[in-house]
Amino acid sequence: MNWIKTQFQKELWSPYAAGVLLGIVGVLAVWISDNLLGASGAFENLAGIIGKAIAPAQFNIMYFNFIMPAAITWGVILLIGIFLGGLLGALTSRTWKLSLNSDPQWRRIFGPQVWKRWVIAFLGAIVLQYGAGIAGGCTSGLAISGGMLLAPAAFLFIAGMFASGILTTLLVYRKNY
Amino acid sequence: MTDYILALILGILFGFSLNKAGLTRYSKIVNVFRFTDMSVLKFMMTALIVSMTGLYTLRGLGLLAFPRVPETYIVGNLVGGLIFGMGMALTGY
Repeated sequence: MNWIKTQFQKELWSPYAAGVLLGIVGVLAVWISDNLLGASGAFENLAGIIGKAIAPAQFNIMYFNFIMPAAITWGVILLIGIFLGGLLGALTSRTWKLSLNSDPQWRRIFGPQVWKRWVIAFLGAIVLQYGAGIAGGCTSGLAISGGMLLAPAAFLFIAGMFASGILTTLLVYRKNY
Repeated sequence: MTDYILALILGILFGFSLNKAGLTRYSKIVNVFRFTDMSVLKFMMTALIVSMTGLYTLRGLGLLAFPRVPETYIVGNLVGGLIFGMGMALTGY
């Protein structure tokens, strides 16, 4: 019992240990719920709901009616769970705090301005979500969930993700790489 | 309804594992692309190996059927991955 408590209070686990936990979650999702752990699709569901409220005519298309239905899907609930789980992790290790830009590495490379972090994060997230939409999933929904079913799509995605991730970081960091 | 409760529980475990692996931080995500911290790969590949083994074993025992496997569109998956990686390196999410 004490051991479990110590593990909960640890700030960082070995990535291997955390990976085993995620692997088990991946199996359980398929086994008991017949679903894959997708996160990016849920944002499209939510975007569909907002879109239908603002501009129903434009959003009354096949994509938001059938492919990524504008509804509270299994994935949306999963997304809420992911947020709560992350919160639980931070609370149990007592590292939870509200901050606008807490990453020291970011500040070292880009400077101390908070707005810069937010603008780049916002634009980067658009790029990220767009890429996930084209590929048919994100790191969790395609790379991990597809990979565990040995789907070729997952491995193509992982290859592309790392190739451009390395290149982009190289361009952004330049001499600090 | 049970399905939604399951989704919530699985999501909590998912988020918890991400947090404990440190992948909720900008530096952990970006540093895998700089080869200075391989946590992302260690985490992803361990998860893949565990779930792969689990799923194929359970299917071999006839205890589960695979869900719809993500379709392969070579160009789509690859180009999507390339765009996604760019966003990932910029945001660190």
